[in-house]
Amino acid sequence: MFYRRIAVFGGVYSNYQALAAMIDDARRHQAEALFCLGDLGGFGPYPDRVYPLLRESGVQVMRGNYDVSLAEGLTDCGCGYTDPRDNYYAALSYEYTFRHTSEDNKGWLRTLPDVLRVQLGNYQLHMSHGSPRQVNEFLWESTTPDGFLSKLCGDYEADVLLCTHTGIKWHRRLPDDRHAVNVGVIGRPENDGETHVWYTLLTADPHLQVEFVPVYYDYEALARDMRQEQLPEAFVETIRSGWWTTCLEVLPGKERARGRW
Amino acid sequence: MAQGTPFMQTIPQAPFHHLHALWFQLTGTLCNLACSHCFISCSPTNHALKFVAPETVYQYLDEAETHGVREVYFTGGEPFLHKQIMPILARSLQVAATSVLTNGTLITPAVAGELAALAAGSPYSLEMRISLDDVDEARNDAVRGKGALRRALRALQLLQERGLPPIVAVTEYFYEAQETTPQEAGDGSGFYQKFRDFLLENGIEKPRLKVIPVFAMGKLHPSETGASYVTPGMMHGFDVTTLQCTKSRIVADGGVYACPLLVGEPEARLSESSLSEAMQPCSLYHTACHTCYVTGMTCSNY
Ligand code: SF4
Ligand code: SF4
Ligand SMILES: [Fe+2]
Repeated sequence: MFYRRIAVFGGVYSNYQALAAMIDDARRHQAEALFCLGDLGGFGPYPDRVYPLLRESGVQVMRGNYDVSLAEGLTDCGCGYTDPRDNYYAALSYEYTFRHTSEDNKGWLRTLPDVLRVQLGNYQLHMSHGSPRQVNEFLWESTTPDGFLSKLCGDYEADVLLCTHTGIKWHRRLPDDRHAVNVGVIGRPENDGETHVWYTLLTADPHLQVEFVPVYYDYEALARDMRQEQLPEAFVETIRSGWWTTCLEVLPGKERARGRW
Repeated sequence: MAQGTPFMQTIPQAPFHHLHALWFQLTGTLCNLACSHCFISCSPTNHALKFVAPETVYQYLDEAETHGVREVYFTGGEPFLHKQIMPILARSLQVAATSVLTNGTLITPAVAGELAALAAGSPYSLEMRISLDDVDEARNDAVRGKGALRRALRALQLLQERGLPPIVAVTEYFYEAQETTPQEAGDGSGFYQKFRDFLLENGIEKPRLKVIPVFAMGKLHPSETGASYVTPGMMHGFDVTTLQCTKSRIVADGGVYACPLLVGEPEARLSESSLSEAMQPCSLYHTACHTCYVTGMTCSNY
C-alpha cells in the first residue's frame, strides 16, 4: 500500500473514550489509514471496549509490551519497574486488565504483528512499539540521541522511525531527511497538566510533515468508569489533572522536571 | 572451601549485544571520602587507577557515537575532583544523555549553577546521582564519614532549586528484608518509602531513587566460604541480556573494561585503547557476576 496521509497513535490503555474521539478526528483530517503501535490495555477501565472500536474502524494494530504479556499470559506488563510503589500500581492494573480481557481478544492479540512497515510518499516508515530492537525500550526525547537514531535508520533501512511506549510525543529531524517520531499515547495525558491526549498525522507532500493533534474527550466520564471499577485513585487523578502520579521512576531528568510529581 | 574458583574452561561468557551505555571512571580511585563499603576501595590516597585525560574521553565519545550509544556515565572515585569536569560534560551532552555519580560534597552553589546551565543548553538530560546510605545521620556518616549526610543533602537541594531533580543512589547496606512490603504505596512503610519521606521532608519535591545491592568486593571482601560464582549450568534458560555487560563498557586508566564493577581488574580488561575492540564477549569469572545474576542489577539509572 502507498499512502499520502496517515494517522498513527499508541498507548490506548483502555481509554475507549479517547479512542473513539481520536478515530473521528483522524477521519475529519482525511487520514487514509490509521495505525496503532500497541498497548491496548492497562490503566483504564473495561479493557474489552477498545477492541470493537479498533476492528470496526479498520485500524492496523501491532503489539506493545502490554499486549505481548496479555497474549502470552505473562505475570506482569513487562515495563521493568524496580520501585515497589511503581510495581504495586503496575501489578494492580495488569491484574485488572488481565481479568477483564476476554479470551477472544487475547487470542486476537496473538495474531498481531510486532512491526509494521509502511510506504508514505517517498518515505519508508518503520513502526515499532518501544524501539525497533526491543519492545519495552523507552525512547524519551532527552535520552534518545541523534547518533543512535541515525544508526537505527541504517540498521532497519528506514527513512522514518515511529514509536510510542513512553507516553510523551516528540519529533527529531535527522540528517538526509530522515526522521524519528514518538507518536505519544491516547490513553492518558502527557504529564503537562492538560487533560487532552495526542495522536500524530504524517503527510508526504511530498516532503514529510509531522503534526501532533490534540484529542479532547470526555475524561470525566472515563474517571467515573474508573471509580466504578475501583481502579486506584492515583490513576483517576492523572486522568483529571493531567499529571502523572505513578511509575515516575523511568522518567529522565528533563521529562521529570516538567511534571508536577 | 564450599565453592571454589571455577576452572578456566568452565567460566560462562556474556555476549555483547549493543552499546547502550558508555562509562568513564574519570577520576580513577581517587575520592575525597573513604567510605567503609566502597566496592573499589576509593580514598584520598588511593592512586591505583589514574584520572582519564579529556582528550581520551573525547576520542571514546566520538567512537561511541558511531556505535549509537544512548547514555554516558561519569564515575570515580569522585568525578568533581577532575579539573576539566565541566568541558567534559559539555562535550558529552552533545553526544548523549549524561550522568555523574558523585558523593555531592563538592557541589557548591557555583558548581550547581554551572551544571544547570549545561543541562539547559542540551537536548539531552544531565543527571546528578548522589550517594546516601541511610536517612539517619549517625548511621550514614558511620559509613561515609562525618558530615557526609548534611553535605549530600545540601547538594540535592542546590540542584533541585536550579531545576535539576537529582537521583539519590542508595546501597542496601542497611537494608533489612522486612522493610520492603508489597504495599509500600499504601501503608507508608518500606525501604524506598523511608528515603522518599526523608527527601520530601527536606524539600526534595521529586524524590528519585536508585537502589543498589551491596557487592562483596573492594573493602567488603567476601569470606572464603561465602563466595559464589556463575556456573555453566546456571546459564540454561537465563536471559543473559539482564546483565549490563551485554550492553555497556567502561573506560578507565589502562583501557576498556567489561563493566563498572570490574573496572581496573586485569581479567576484565577487553582492550587497551579501542572501544570497538572491547565490544566482544566478556567472562563472568567474578563473584560480583553472581550478584548481578541473582539481583539483575544494573549501574544505569533506570
Ligand atoms: S564516595 Fe563513592 S567513590 Fe568515594 S569512597 Fe564513597 S563509595 Fe567510594
Ligand atoms: S560484574 Fe556483572 S556486569 Fe560485570 S561482568 Fe560480571 S555479570 Fe557482567
Ligand atoms: Fe508500552
